[in-house]
Amino acid sequence: MTETSLRGRVRLLGTTMAVVLTLLLAAGAGCDSQRGPEPPSVQEKLKQSHIYGQSKLRIGVATFEPLMGVLDDNGKYIGFDIDIARYLAASLGYAGDERIEFVRLATEDRIPALQSGQVDIVVSSFSITEERQKLVSFAGPYFVTTQEVMIPVRLKSEIRTIEDLRRPGLRICVGGGSTTEAELEKHEVRTLVVKNVRDCVQGIIDNRYDAVSSDETILAGFRSQHPTQFEIVDMPFGTSEQLGVGVPISDPALRDLVAFFLQKSYQDGRNGRTSPWLSAYHRNLGPWLGPDRQQPPPLNVPDLVDFDEKAPV
Amino acid sequence: MTLPGRESTTPRPASADPPPPDSPPVDIALDSPPVNTAPVDVASDSPPVDTASADAPAGGDQGIGGWRGGAGPEPGGHASGGSAPGGAGGRSDGTAAGAAIGWPSGADAAERRSRASQSFWTLVVGVPAIFSVLRLGVEAGGELQTTLLLVANVNPVNLAAALVTTAARLVSAGLVAVFAIGAVLLASAEAAPTHRIGRHPPLFARWRAITPPWVVIASFAVALATWPILYLPLLLPAFTAAFQLGPARLDERRIPRLLLLAALLAGYAVLMLPTLSDAWQQREAFAVLVIAAPPLLALLVPGPVPVAVARPLAMTVQLAVLAMLCWAALPVITTPVLPLTVTTIRADGDGGGTGSPGDPGTGPAAPGAVDGGVERIRGHVITTDDVSMVILQERGGVRYVPTGQVEEQVLCPTEEELPRYRLRIHGFHVEDSLLEGMGRRVRPVNRIDAECRTATTVP
Repeated sequence: MTETSLRGRVRLLGTTMAVVLTLLLAAGAGCDSQRGPEPPSVQEKLKQSHIYGQSKLRIGVATFEPLMGVLDDNGKYIGFDIDIARYLAASLGYAGDERIEFVRLATEDRIPALQSGQVDIVVSSFSITEERQKLVSFAGPYFVTTQEVMIPVRLKSEIRTIEDLRRPGLRICVGGGSTTEAELEKHEVRTLVVKNVRDCVQGIIDNRYDAVSSDETILAGFRSQHPTQFEIVDMPFGTSEQLGVGVPISDPALRDLVAFFLQKSYQDGRNGRTSPWLSAYHRNLGPWLGPDRQQPPPLNVPDLVDFDEKAPV
Repeated sequence: MTLPGRESTTPRPASADPPPPDSPPVDIALDSPPVNTAPVDVASDSPPVDTASADAPAGGDQGIGGWRGGAGPEPGGHASGGSAPGGAGGRSDGTAAGAAIGWPSGADAAERRSRASQSFWTLVVGVPAIFSVLRLGVEAGGELQTTLLLVANVNPVNLAAALVTTAARLVSAGLVAVFAIGAVLLASAEAAPTHRIGRHPPLFARWRAITPPWVVIASFAVALATWPILYLPLLLPAFTAAFQLGPARLDERRIPRLLLLAALLAGYAVLMLPTLSDAWQQREAFAVLVIAAPPLLALLVPGPVPVAVARPLAMTVQLAVLAMLCWAALPVITTPVLPLTVTTIRADGDGGGTGSPGDPGTGPAAPGAVDGGVERIRGHVITTDDVSMVILQERGGVRYVPTGQVEEQVLCPTEEELPRYRLRIHGFHVEDSLLEGMGRRVRPVNRIDAECRTATTVP
């Protein structure tokens, strides 16, 4: 009898506790359904960035780097960097060339253009370095390349090593403000600095220079234009070059957005889907650098929420 | 004969909840506990529901059977919303029994039922209609002329469908809460028929008592289809509470019952463990709770609560539920009726006849909104004809855009649609309802148009 009574009481207590807990849980669900997302959303970041409300996105690009960024005879911008720039612009809300203002930038003008507000972002074979990170922000990398030397076919037996580059009388040309210039200085190679790599290539054709050093991607572009006149020599310069998207240092929200969309492309590629990066690579660089390259993972990618997160994965 | 709606309201085994010694005398052939029936000598299946509201003695000591007769109506007979479906749900006419206990005659009862039915359908049609008009008023930004423009152009069927789409979740949540809490309070009232709560059961308990099972089941079905998947486990304790389905109902024998319970819990675990693990890793404490706790609560929640708890619980919970429903209804009123779009128009420079009845100041294109001969308007398209497209701008005001100038139009999501969790249950995002989740499987690509990011009607 007593046991039955005790069991009844325990049962009553259990039911009461369960009812109260269920009600609390339901109330919690009610409150939970009203709260917003914890990580910032893409839209919030966009509103924080300086480009919000702009009618066009101004992108600094190179126009003399075959395969990477070129303004062709029809006035159309083509190249790997251009395709990446278009993808980023569309992701940021600027789809179509009518909503993009491509700004031609020489290698040495990339940082000043960002600092002065002449452009919103720079997608122009822009290597990420510590020195540059003090002046501008980078999102990426979106490509990892190495430094190479391109020589005319007539010198292919004379220039094979870094030692050969130090030979007195050899005229080595580099683009101004590039990482190549600093790297060659480190190896005690005297260089002749011009505005763009294109000037170096033209100078070699005109016999004013003997070799040009730059990123593998840029040199591959010029070699694609003159396949019988040039040869690329693989030299152990050391560190690889990480190409990133330059963003004004005063706009961390825009940097986060660019990094987020590069990451999105990277994830698509990793999941075996066609990604904007892969499309850009195969359309431009793939035939010259081989089909096996993959997009490198971007660094310091923020956690953002976007509208398509509920889509099936 | 078993009464529809009664068997399931008190399914507890007699052994688990013996009738109190001072229960009212009952002499009917029911397989439901006697405390849930009228204190009359009835051999039919006719519940005396929704009748005699005015005739029931106010505050008379009738025991539980007494309030069933007058259960529906609170002052003003407002239980008609619950009683009418019951009338359609197979309640037979208990004229003879009613007459025997002094309830209205058959004709009177029929008339009352008819009135109740009319009231019910008036509410069913009228409340959504009023709600919809309120929504239009909010959508119009409080401008009378804009509201009238919307009223004139928004198709009533579309309006009703939009309301159902956005309000089904809220309505089903309200009904499930009422039925689950009502059933617990009803069980408590039945367990203490001589106590005040037994003589005057709380409102939710009376609503639960007069509601036919099919209405309760339909409410749960709507909830199952429309609630976010994350909250679906809450339906488990709600269901066992609403139908008072204790573990004993699985099987009378102890071992098979335990085996069945173990199998059910194992099935739930298989379904939920990956998500539970993800939620734990993401430190989503509430998600962990709402996934893990409900099956256990579902085992304990059926049954009465002590009288000392039931009364304050009833008062608190009923008020809280009604307050939460009002609070949750606000977003429903403010949810737009029309889809959000960005319309790209060619600015011809002739003013384009753009104008606003509610905001004449925005007539021609706002300075700076035009970019390179193109303007993008973010808002809701009210109507389109051969002459113009009428757009209710997101920031307010109406624009009349010549149809010939429209170049492009895209559909955009709103920020309220952003997800809060990164959890999935077998591929379904936890914030989707089952219906939405299945829809995403049919159309998996969710492309956000670039214009949706930046179109702000450029300042």
